[in-house]
Amino acid sequence: MELLLAVVIGVLYATGIYMIMRRSIMKLIIGIGLLAHGADLLIFTLGRIESTKPPIIAAGEESITNYADPVPQALILTAIVIGFGVMAFALVLFRETVRVSDTGDVQEMRLSDR
Amino acid sequence: MILLSTILLLFVAAFFVWALRHYLTATPLRGWMLALFPAGSFGLLLWQTLELGDSAETLSIPWIPTLDLSLSLYFDPLAALFGMLITGIGTLIIIYTGYYFANDKSAWRFLSYLFLFMGSMLGLVLAGDVITLFIFWEATSITSFLLVAYKYKDEAARRGAFKALFITGGGGIALLAGLLFVSNIVGSTEYATILNSGDLLRNSEIYLVVLSLVAFGAFTKSAQFPAHIWLPDAMSAPTPASAFLHSATMVKAGIYMMARLNPALGETEAWFWLLSIAGLTTMVVGAYLGTKQNDLKALLAYSTISQLGILMMLIGQDTEIAFKALIIGIVAHALYKSSLFMSVGIIDHETGTRLLSRLGGLRRAMPITFVIVVIAALSLGGLPPLFGFLAKETLLATAVHPSLPLLMTWLFAVAIVIAAAFKLVQAGLLTIDVFTGKPRDPAIHAHEAPKGMLFAPAVPALLSLALGILPEPKQLAEFFGEAAAASYGAPVKVSFALWTGLSIPVALSAVAIASGMLLFWQRQRLITWQRQLDGWSFNQLYAAVLATIDKGARAATRIQTGKLRFYLATFLLAMLGLVALTSGSAWTLPTGQGGTSGLHMQFDIIRLLALVAIVGGAVATVVIKRDFFAVLALSATGLGVAVYMIVEPAPDVALVQIVVDILATVILVLAIGRLPLRLRETAQKLRTGIQWPTLLIAVTGGFLVTWISYSALASRPRPSLVTPFYRANAKILTGASDIVGAIIVDFRALDTLVEIGVFSLAGLGVYTLLRFAAIKHADHGQAIDAQTPLAPHPLQTLGIGGFRVSPYIRAMGDILLPVALVIGSIHVLYGHDQPGDGFTAGVIIGLAIGFKYVVFGFQETRRRLWWLRPNILIAIGISIAIVSGAATTIMTGSFLSPVDYGEMLSLPLPTGVKLSSGFLYEIAIALSVLGSVGLMLDTLGRPAVDVDLLAEPPAPENRGN
Repeated sequence: MELLLAVVIGVLYATGIYMIMRRSIMKLIIGIGLLAHGADLLIFTLGRIESTKPPIIAAGEESITNYADPVPQALILTAIVIGFGVMAFALVLFRETVRVSDTGDVQEMRLSDR
Repeated sequence: MILLSTILLLFVAAFFVWALRHYLTATPLRGWMLALFPAGSFGLLLWQTLELGDSAETLSIPWIPTLDLSLSLYFDPLAALFGMLITGIGTLIIIYTGYYFANDKSAWRFLSYLFLFMGSMLGLVLAGDVITLFIFWEATSITSFLLVAYKYKDEAARRGAFKALFITGGGGIALLAGLLFVSNIVGSTEYATILNSGDLLRNSEIYLVVLSLVAFGAFTKSAQFPAHIWLPDAMSAPTPASAFLHSATMVKAGIYMMARLNPALGETEAWFWLLSIAGLTTMVVGAYLGTKQNDLKALLAYSTISQLGILMMLIGQDTEIAFKALIIGIVAHALYKSSLFMSVGIIDHETGTRLLSRLGGLRRAMPITFVIVVIAALSLGGLPPLFGFLAKETLLATAVHPSLPLLMTWLFAVAIVIAAAFKLVQAGLLTIDVFTGKPRDPAIHAHEAPKGMLFAPAVPALLSLALGILPEPKQLAEFFGEAAAASYGAPVKVSFALWTGLSIPVALSAVAIASGMLLFWQRQRLITWQRQLDGWSFNQLYAAVLATIDKGARAATRIQTGKLRFYLATFLLAMLGLVALTSGSAWTLPTGQGGTSGLHMQFDIIRLLALVAIVGGAVATVVIKRDFFAVLALSATGLGVAVYMIVEPAPDVALVQIVVDILATVILVLAIGRLPLRLRETAQKLRTGIQWPTLLIAVTGGFLVTWISYSALASRPRPSLVTPFYRANAKILTGASDIVGAIIVDFRALDTLVEIGVFSLAGLGVYTLLRFAAIKHADHGQAIDAQTPLAPHPLQTLGIGGFRVSPYIRAMGDILLPVALVIGSIHVLYGHDQPGDGFTAGVIIGLAIGFKYVVFGFQETRRRLWWLRPNILIAIGISIAIVSGAATTIMTGSFLSPVDYGEMLSLPLPTGVKLSSGFLYEIAIALSVLGSVGLMLDTLGRPAVDVDLLAEPPAPENRGN
C-alpha cells in the first residue's frame, strides 16, 4: 500500500510535468493543478501516516492519543488554498498573454524575448 | 564626537546644497559662503590636532554589535595631516568652484557631489577600523564616479567615469578581502589592535596573500602602473574636481592606507620589493608619458601618476629619511599640484582651450596667473628655493641611503634623476611654452581671471614658497615628524632646511636639473620622438577585458531562447540532476525498519478506489485532447484526493479539497469560455503525438518523487516534534477541539492572515488584470448585452454564454444561495470543534454565487446580487482580522492570541458557540475569501467581446501560419 501511494504521487508529478511542457496553454494550467495535487499528497506522506483517528478531541476530554498528525494537515490546508490562488491568477495572466500575443501556443509566445 | 562632526559637517553641506537646489545658482559669493563648511571642518581638525596628546584619539560607536561591528574613528598626526589637507584644499576648491561655475543653474549637483566626496574622503582618513575604512573607501569611488561623469552628455566623460569605477571598484573588492583577512588574523577590526599586531601578521601563513590583496586595492586607487590608465581618462571631470580628487585626495587614499598599515604589514622583504618596483615603474612611466601630452590636464595627470609612484616607493623603504621624504612629498605635491590644476582650469576658462599646441604668450594678458604657475611649476620641477626642492632632496637622500643594496641604490638614483629631469621639462612646458612667446592660435583672446578666482590657486603656491624660504616653523616640523613617525613606527625628525651642504643628493639634483634643462631645450625633438614611439598601451588590455565581458554576456543571453518549454526542461533537468547527485549513497530502497512504529497502513478498498481515481484522472488529462474534458479529468483527480483524505483521516483537508476542487473547475470552465475559440482550436490541434524527450523528463521526475515519498513513508524515524505540544495544548489554550482548526486560527494565526492576504490579492489581481485590460481594449460588458437581450418569456431565460437553462435549474439557482449561507454559518460557528472553518464557509457561499452566474448569466446575476461588493468584503474581512488581532494584543500582549469574549462578559450563548477571537477570525477569513472568490467569478463570468462563441470565425487566410 505504501508503495502504491508513492507510485500515485509519482504519477501525479509525472503527468503534471508532462502537461506543463506541452504547447497548449490550457494544458499547462491543468499541469499546474496536477502538480499541486502531487505536492499536497507528498507533504501529507512526509508527515507519516499511521493512525485511523482524526485529530479532533472528543467532547469532555482534554487531549487525545493515537490520532493523525495535525501538523501536515494544517500545512496542506494552506497549500491547497495558495495553490488555488496561484492557479486562478496564472489562468488570468495566461489569458491576457494569449490575447496580447494572439496565440494559444506556448512555443510562439516570445513577445518579451524579441 | 568633534571628530565625527567634522565629517558630518561636510555631509550636511551636501544635503544643504541639495535642499536649496532650486534657489542656488552658483555665484562667487555663494562659493565663499559654502566654503565655510569645509573651513569649519578644517578649524575643528586643527583644534583637535593641537589638543592631541601622545597617543591616538579613538572613538567607537556600536553599529551592529552582534557582528562586533562599530563605526570607529582613529585620530593621530598622520590622519590629522591628511584630514587638514583634504579640508584645507577643499575650502579653496569650493571658493574656486563658485567662480568656475558662475551663473550655472545646475552647479548644485556638482557642489553636492563634491561635498559628499569630501565627507567620504575625510571619513576614509579618520576611520578607526577596517570596515569603516572600507565603507568610506567605496563611497569615494562612487562619488568620484559621479564627479567625473558630471558632464554626462559627453561620452568621453561617461567612459572615463566608468573606467575609473571599474578599476578602483575592482581594487576595492580585493581590498575588502585583504582587510577581512587582516582582521581575522589579529582578531579585531580596530586599528588600535591591528597596528600593534605587526608580528602576528608578518608571521602569518597567508601574509603574502593578504599583502597582495591589500596592495592591489591601494595600487588601483593610487593609479600605480599598470592600473594607472584610469587617471588620465578621469580628467574629463570638471577642473575643480580634478584639482581636488587627483591632486590631494582620492589618489592619495591608497598612499594613506599603505602608510597607515606600514607598521602592521610593512618592513618585510616582500613589502620592500613590491612597493619599490611598483613605485619606481610608475614614477618613470608617469614622468615619461606626461611630457608628450598636448592637453595640459593630461600632462598634470601623468605627473600626478609619477608622484604617486614616488610616494608608494617611499613607503616600501625601511629608513627614517624615507618617511621624512614621504610626508614632505605628500604635502609638497598637494600644494603645487592643486595650484597647477586650478591654474590650468583658469587658463581653460579664460581662453577656451588647454591644448599646448594652441596656447602661448599668455604672460601679458594673465600676469597673476603667470606668477602663480611659475611658483607652482618650479616646485613641481624641484627647483630651489621651493618646497618641491626639499621633497626631491629628501627623496634622493633616501635613494642613496647606505642601508640599500648597491644595485638598488644605482637603480633608484638613476630612475629618480630621469623622472626629475622629465618633471623639469613639464614645468618648463607649463610656464615658458604657455606664457611666453607668441600665441600659437591667434583666435584666442585671453584675459585675466577675477581676483577671487586667483585666490584659490595662489594660496597653495605661496605656501610652497613660504615653506621653502621662511625660517623653519618649529611646531610644523614637529607635527610632520609625528605624522611620519605614525607611519614609520619609530620617531622621525623633520627639518625644512633646504641647504645641507654639498652631498651626494645635491650632486644628483644638479645632474637632474642639468639634464632636465637639456631635454627642455631639445623638447621639440624629444616630443616628436616620443610620439613616434606610440605603441601598445595598457588601455588595449583594458579594452580587451571589457570586450571579453561583453562577449560573455552576449553568449549568456543567447541561451535565452524565449521558449517556455526550453526553460522548464532546463529547470527540471537541473533539479533532477541535483537530487540525483545529492542523494548519492542513499540510493537504496528503504527497508521499512527505520521507523519507530514501522508501517501500518491498511489495505482497504476505499483507499484503493481513491488512488485509482487519482491516477485515472491524471492520466486522462494527458490523453484527452479537448480542454473542457481535460479540466473535468483534473477535477476527478482532485475529488480522488479528497476521498483519500477522508479515509486517512484528515477531515479538514478533505472538506477544503472538495470545495476548492469544485471552485477550480468552475473557474477553469469559465476561463475556457473566455479564451478565443479559434486560438483554443488551433492549440488543441497542435501535435498530439507523444513527445519522447518530454515524456522521458516526466517519467524520470515521477520516478524520483516516487522514490522520495517511499523512503519518507518507510523510514521517517520519529513523529513531528511540535505535534505533542499542539495535542496537549489545543484545548487548554485555545478552547478548540479540532486541532487542525486550532493550528490554523490560533497557533499559526499570523500565517493564516498572510494566507488570506495572498488569496485576496489573487482575487484582486484577477480582477485588475482582466477588467483593466478589458477597459483598455474598449471592451465593456454592454456590447454583448445588445446581442443577447433578456428573453421575453420568464421561463426561457438564457444562462452564461447565451445557452438556454431549464426552469428547474433556475429554481435551484435561487435556493442554493440561502442554503449555502446556512452551511457557511454553521462552519463559522462550530469550526472550532469540528472539521470545517471560515475558509470552507467562504468558498461554499462563493460556489452558490458562481452557480447563479452560470444559471442566470452575468447581467441577471449582477442585477439580483446588487448588494454583493467583493472588494468591500475583502476590506472588511482583513480589517476585522487586524482589529481583532490588535485588540488581543492590548489584552494579552500577543497578536491574534485567543480571547474568549463570551466567557469574559458572561454572555448567554447556546452550547458549543463561543464568541471568541477565534470566532471573529473565522468570520474575517470567510468574508475575505468570499470577496476574493466573488471577484474571480465576477471577472471571469463577465462576457467579453472577444469571446468567439458568438463572433463569426475569421476567414482562414487571416490566420497566418
